[in-house]
Parts: sequence; structure tokens; C-alpha cells
Amino acid sequence: MRRRDFVGTIGRIGGSAVGMDLLGFHPTIRPSDNPSLLIPMDDAQSDHLKAYGVAYRVIQAGGKAEWLLNYRGGSFLLPDAQSIRRDAALNGVTVEAVDDGQVSAVRGEIAGTNADAVPLEKAPKVAVYVPPNAQPWDDAVTMALQYAGIPFEKLWDPEVLADGLRTYDWLHLHHEDFTGQYSKFFLIYTGQPWLSEMVRFNDAARRQLGLASVPDMKKAVARAIRAYVDRGGFLFAMCTATETIDLALAAHDVDIAASFADGTPMDPAADAKLDWSQTFAFTGAHVEPDPQVASFSDIDGHQVNAGPRRQPLGAFKLFNFSAKIDPVPTMLVQNHRDVIPDFYGLTTSFLRERLKPGVSVLADEEGAPWVKYIHGDLGKGTWTFFGGHDPEDPQHQIGDPPTDLSLHPHSPGYRLILNNVLFPAAKKRELKT
Amino acid sequence: MRRSERVRLTVVLTVLATAAPTARVRLAAQAISQGFELERQGRVEQAAAMYESVLHGDAASLPALLGLERVLPPLGRLGELLPLVQRALLVDSGPQLRALAVRTLTALEESDSAAALVRRWAAGRPGDPAPWREWAIALEDHQRFDEARNALMEGRHALGTPTALAIEQGELEQRVGDWPAAALAWATAATDAQHLPNAVSQLEDAPVDQHDRVIHALTVPGASIAARRIAAELLLGWEQPDRGWEMLAATLDPPTPEAGLALRRFAEQATGSAAAVRRVRGLALARLADYLPAPLAARMRAEAARALLDAGDRTAARAELAKLAGDSAAPAEAKSLAQSALVDAALADGQLDSAASGLARLEADPRTSSEERQRLRYGLVAAWIRAGRLDRAEDALGPDSSVEALALHGWVQLYRGELKEATDAFRTAGPYAGDREAATARTTMLALLEQIDTDRNPELGAALLVLARRDSSGAVTALRRVGEHMGSGRPDVLLLAGRIAARLGGGSQEGTALDLFSEVVRSGGAGAAAPAAELEWARILLRQAKAADAVAHLEHLILTYPASAVVPEARRELERAKGSIPRS
Repeated sequence: MRRRDFVGTIGRIGGSAVGMDLLGFHPTIRPSDNPSLLIPMDDAQSDHLKAYGVAYRVIQAGGKAEWLLNYRGGSFLLPDAQSIRRDAALNGVTVEAVDDGQVSAVRGEIAGTNADAVPLEKAPKVAVYVPPNAQPWDDAVTMALQYAGIPFEKLWDPEVLADGLRTYDWLHLHHEDFTGQYSKFFLIYTGQPWLSEMVRFNDAARRQLGLASVPDMKKAVARAIRAYVDRGGFLFAMCTATETIDLALAAHDVDIAASFADGTPMDPAADAKLDWSQTFAFTGAHVEPDPQVASFSDIDGHQVNAGPRRQPLGAFKLFNFSAKIDPVPTMLVQNHRDVIPDFYGLTTSFLRERLKPGVSVLADEEGAPWVKYIHGDLGKGTWTFFGGHDPEDPQHQIGDPPTDLSLHPHSPGYRLILNNVLFPAAKKRELKT
Repeated sequence: MRRSERVRLTVVLTVLATAAPTARVRLAAQAISQGFELERQGRVEQAAAMYESVLHGDAASLPALLGLERVLPPLGRLGELLPLVQRALLVDSGPQLRALAVRTLTALEESDSAAALVRRWAAGRPGDPAPWREWAIALEDHQRFDEARNALMEGRHALGTPTALAIEQGELEQRVGDWPAAALAWATAATDAQHLPNAVSQLEDAPVDQHDRVIHALTVPGASIAARRIAAELLLGWEQPDRGWEMLAATLDPPTPEAGLALRRFAEQATGSAAAVRRVRGLALARLADYLPAPLAARMRAEAARALLDAGDRTAARAELAKLAGDSAAPAEAKSLAQSALVDAALADGQLDSAASGLARLEADPRTSSEERQRLRYGLVAAWIRAGRLDRAEDALGPDSSVEALALHGWVQLYRGELKEATDAFRTAGPYAGDREAATARTTMLALLEQIDTDRNPELGAALLVLARRDSSGAVTALRRVGEHMGSGRPDVLLLAGRIAARLGGGSQEGTALDLFSEVVRSGGAGAAAPAAELEWARILLRQAKAADAVAHLEHLILTYPASAVVPEARRELERAKGSIPRS
């Protein structure tokens, strides 16, 4: 499965989701008397994050589900079956049994408001790009997937360069530094065992792949990921990966890495040689020339570790899109909160003036020169970039305890991540715009 | 640069060139402020222009030069800073500008010039470590650690003292991750006792896998007293208080003022609630008392005795209390405190008659506060209750109608089997008597009593008294025997027995607990006991590494008793059983 356009109105698919039996994963269970289950995603929901897992497992088991965009916070309509009720109960997910009359009323409300119903038809196969020594808890997406119970597989540079992405629908980039400079961690963490291990792993991979330097390897990986999206893959990136993958793509023939990374200083005329035609989201950025400054470029608006350039955190606001005209961005911003407290990452936000024309802004901070959450198309695929490291740990530091999502079951920031995971499951139809 | 900004800069330049001196200073300050704001906005090119404009009027303006030091590197124009700094040095050769010059030359990799400048600077200020320190830090900031170390060594040689620049060396070694070398450098610095706190504070950040190496470096044969005192405090902070105290105690002869200072610091650092930490705090305070004049020593000894009692080391506590009692010069309040502590010690030892005598003496002592007497009296009543001397406890309470007394009365009635009276007393006492733990214990007991619809059950009271006397194993047997013959409340009593057995652990008791939980789940009906028993059952299975079985029970619990108050806990355990909760 690859990127889907969206097909038809809910009238065309009729009630195909209604009454479907999901005996695929619990064959002995008898369907219940109500034809449908509604998973509300407004404040009535007791665990918003696990609700995505319930919906995912329904479609994974071959059932049909609908995503009711802008209806009660982006609710899900599922066929009623004891197996689904059981799954929801075990996970503490609130479900409401609805009969045909109530479903008709819901559809009527959707038809008359800025809402829509999108069929979800096939569970995307998920891959996470993650170095082998990474703690599983150090990445928000990995934590969200595990908490929601959505399966994923891990791959890294050797697998990506061996065309390993081919079999996946959705790829998340761990907060990798694709400029190959180890996130400039040496400025603060020299001597830390985990940093030495990170260098060792990368160098071993580089040697295995026969590449001249780690920055060269990361550029090759960035190009492979770009090709994956171009062929129809879904890419989701957070934190440093957003900014640095574009820098790596733009710098295909330019040295933008400091000498500690590849043995040669960066090209002093690098800015002028960058090729922004190759990037996903950004254009015209200036690469940080000083290896002593913990910043990659002027794409990030917050510059968290760049001393006086650091900007304070505010809050970002999700855009309200037209569900019937722009279903894709509408899906990506489904939430029960419109305004969400911001959180730092090595890349926290994206300066508006660095965005390419055609990039969709999904969330920004009002009055600030930066945006938080962006989306766009490339070839047959799509990409989404979300700034920051962990929505529930706004000042995340290396060594901090991992975020326990069972303490944040309503996290609106984590919901945005999970919107992206379900988005590729949506049934294709012709875009109206 | 935008047109409006060019215009503004031109105006600044013109005004700075033509303004009177006072106005010029004010305008320069404004320009620095604007430059800083531009810098904050990330507009470094404009900020650089603003700082340069200030230098037109004042070539040695330190804020402007420091601003340029920040903004020129990201623009790739650091080379422009050097002539400006050199020109400034002609006007002002103060240490800040010299340091800036060293940093700039180092950043531009003009090593010979940087070295020459440092040596000239040092020659002009013999005994001043600043030139060497600035040079070493500048080199470190560019990851040139070996050169930085050489600079420090050269500086130490030039300064002629073995401890010179030891702090800087410690920081350097720490930065490169060589923790044992950092420890040795800090030990050198801490020869001067005022650096001991810094040394500890820096070294305690060492990664766990470096702790042993750091301690080894600090305690090799021949290590200085300062090094061993650093090791003592580190061990205390790294949760090895006993080892830390042994290390410190070996450095206390002869009793110098520095030894007293080290003792005081150690006692102040020993602030945890763990018994071992309290004990070493008590030992340190007791030793510190030997260093202090009489009235202060007595107070310190009383505090030491309290800490030792809290830690459960009654032998050591009594030794301090005996010293206090024999100290005719001890202030009255210290003696009173000692008497109170002796009653506490007697209570903790179960010597209730001795505690009662001590309390009687305190009742006649006007220096003891009424709150303290009351605290001890309630403590004695609770001890009598636990000892099963219910009549004595009741007599001691007398006509007291405070909530604390009511709560204690409730326990007396409970253990007599007067369940209704106990319930009434607990309800009247409410949640405010005693500490949080006591309030929780009463609430838990009330929840049990509310399931039982009989007013009186002496067998149950006796079984609960066995539990209060800390005979857990006997309590399991007694509660099980009573529970099996009860009507209402049967599942709740069996659940309590099961929980006690589960906490006792071990194969036999765990088996008993599983039997009891199974029985409660099977026959518990729709009450709260059945889901609670199933949760406890699953927890035992998890402890036994039978995650799959535990998952089955937890799922059964959640699906069968969706309205139970333990469902959130069960979901949490389910996550844990499935490995979905990150381990901190």
C-alpha cells in the first residue's frame, strides 16, 4: 500500500463498516446486538492514545473502520463485535454502542458541518529508523507506538541502503543527525560512554558499507529515504531529523560537516552551493559554520542549545482545515485540543521564511516567525515534519527518565504523532483540491 | 541588510562620532542593547554591524567586542575580530581584553601568538593564574585538550605551587571523561579545605560505572586526607553511607578544625531517610560534639541520639544519652530532650514499664512541653495495645476525648472484638488523628468492618491483634480460621489473610496466598474483594515470572469487574506484564 487519495463520500461506501464481523482475531466471539461502536475522541475518551491502537487492530484484522474527521475530536466508527469491546475494555478505551438510528444521526451531522467520514481500510506496515544502540524510550514515536500497541519494525543505515524500505508503508525517523555530526553532542557530552558507542556504531556501519565518512553515509541514507517517499512512501520525522535530512539532501556535493566528523572542515562557501531542489520542506537556509555552536542551520526558530539565540517556548495552534475539501491535513490535526504547549528538541520549530512554496502548515505559534508542524507531497508520497523531541517533556535532557505515557493518556501532542500513523490507512479517492 | 536598518546604522554612526562624551556613552549603551536584541532574534549580521558601530566611538568597548566574539563566528568572519582586539589592547590592557585576545588567537589557530601573549601577560603579573586559566579554557573550548593540559602544566610550573590551577585541571579531566584523573586533580585542589565542597559537587556527577575508579584513585595508599574526605562524601552521596563514614572516621585524628569542618559537612549531607544514612548522621554528630564547647556539645549529642534512635541503633543512642545525663553542664532543654529520647528508646525496645516510668518523670518536668508529653503518652498507649495490654491502654487514655485518643480507643475496641464500637470510634476520629499512615490504617480497617454485619466478633478481634503484634504468620492462620466461619465479610477477611501471606513471601506462604485469593475470586461475589484478590493473585504470578498467567487474570479482572476501583491498577499491571511501561 502506498499513499492513498481519498475516494468517494461516506454515502458511497454506505454502511460497509457497519456490522462487519472481526472474527479474524477472535473467531469464537458472537457479534453483539448493536451494529456499531463509536470511539469518541473528545473529552469523553478515557485513553485517547490507546484508542488509535484499537482502531489500528480492527483494520489490521481485516475489518473496516471509519475516521470521523472533526466529529467529536476525530472519533472512530467501528463495527460492533465482542472482540473489539474486549480490546477496548482491556485498554481502558471508552466506546459507545450506537444503533443504526444513531449512526444515521451522526452521518447527518457530519454532512451538515465541517466534518467528513474517511474509511480506513488497511493497516500500514510501520518502520522506525533507529540506531541499534538507541534506548527505545528515547523517541516519542516509538513510545507512542508501543503504548498504543501498534507493531513496528526497526531498521537503520545498512538496511535502508539495501533497499529495506521497499516493504514498508510508513517510516518514522528517529531524531537522527543526517549531517553526520552526531548532533554536535561532543560539545556537552564528550567522554560519555553512550556518545562513544554512537560514534563506534556509525563508524562500523560506514566501514561495512564502504563509504568514505559518516556524513557521506548519512547523505546516502537521506537520498534513499527521499527515493522511498518519491515512490509513494509516507515519511514522518521529528526533532533533528526534520532539519538535518533536508540539509543532507541539499548538500549532496558539498561538505557541511565539521572536521571532527569527517576529518575536513566544512566548505566555507557551503551556503552558496546547497541544492534546495532536492529537499522536502526547506529552502535558502544558512548552514551553521561554527562547530562550537550547537545548531545546524537557521531553519530552527528556537535554537535551544545555541546560547543567546535560544527562544522561549510558547504554545502552538492547530489549523482548522475543511474536512471535505482538505481531508489529508484535516486527518493530521485531529485532536481534542486546538492549542498545545510547545516543547523543545534539538530542532524545535521551522522558520516560516525557510519553507518551500507549497508546504502545508498544520500548526504554528501565533505571532511568531516559526511554525511547528508541516506537511507536503513529494512524488507519489508524502512527508510530515513535527518539531521538538517529546510532547510531554518540554525541556527534555539526555539522561532524563523516559516518559511514561500511561500518565499522559490524553496527550494532545502524542495524538498528532498517532494521527500520522493512521493516516496511511485511509482509503484512497480522488483529491478534490 | 534592509534599507531601514542601513539608515538606522548610519544614524548611529553619525551620532556616535559627533555626540558629547556623556551622550556618547549613553548612545553606545543603547547600541549595545540593540545589538543584543538583534542577536537574540538570530539576525547576527545586523548585530555585528551594530557592535562595530560602537567601536567607532570607543575602540576598547568590551561589550561590543564580546558581542562580536559571539556573532562573527557564525558569519565566518572571526578573522575580523583580531585587528579590533589588537587595537583595543593599545587603549586598555586589562585582563578581560587580554583574555579576549587569547580566545580569539586560539580560535584562529594562531597558537604561537596565543602562547606568546599568555607568557607576556603572565610575566607582567607573576602569581596570577588568570593568563594560564584563560588560555587553557580557550583551548578546551576547541577540543584541544592535550594542549590545554600542557598550558596548565606550564602555568603551574610558572606559578611555582603544586596546587596552582588544580581546579582547572580537574574540570579539564572531567570534560574529557577521565574521572580518576579529575579526582586526583580535585584532591590536590581540596588541600585547601574551602575547595572540598566544589570537589565533591563536581565529582559526584561521575557516571555510575566510574564510581569505583574514582574512589580507588582517591584512596590509594598514601592518599592525602583531603582526598579521603572527598571519597567519604562521595560514598555518602552514592548510597554507601557506612563505607563513607568509615572513610571519614579514619581521617579524624588528630582532631583539627578541618576535621571538625569535615564532620559538620558530612552530617549536613547525610539527610536521607534511610536508616543507614540516619545512623551515620548520628555518628558524625556524636563525634562532632567532641569538638564543641559544653552547651553546644550537649545539644549536638541530643541531636545525635535522636538520629541514632531514628536509625534504630539504640545502643549507640543510649551511649550518647548516658553522656548527656552525666553532663552537669548540659542545658536543661538538652536534658529534657534526652529524657524524651530515652522514653522513645524504651518504647522501641518494648520496655513499656520503663517507658511509663520515664514518662511519669517527664509529666512532672515543666521544661517538657505538653505536646511532647502527649506524643509520648499516645506512643505508650499504642505500644500497650500492640502488646495486648488493652486494659492498661484504656486506663492510660482515661477521659481524653481528643481525636487521637478516640482513634486509639477504636483499636482497643477492635481487638476486644467490639466491632461496632470500633467502627464508631474510627468514624468519630475521622482522618485527622495521627499521621497519614495511621489514618490510612484506620480507613483500611473501616472498609473491612463495613463488610461485616455483626456488632461483635471476639475471634476476629483476637486474630487482628495477632497481626498488630507483628506475628504475620500467626495472623494468616488466625484470620483464615476466623474468615472461613464468617458469613458477611468472609471474602474481605480471607483477602486480608491472603495479602499478609503474599507479603510474607516464600513458597509456603505464597501458596497459601494463592489458595486464599483463588477462594475469594471463586466465592467473593460482586463485592470489592474478588477483583482485589484477583489483582493480588496476578501480582504474585508476575513475581513468579508467569507473565502469561498474570495477563490472563488481569484481563479477566478488567473484563469481569469493569466498575471495580482496582481496574486502573490492573491496567497498569497489565502494561507492566506486557513490558509496555518504560523502566526508569
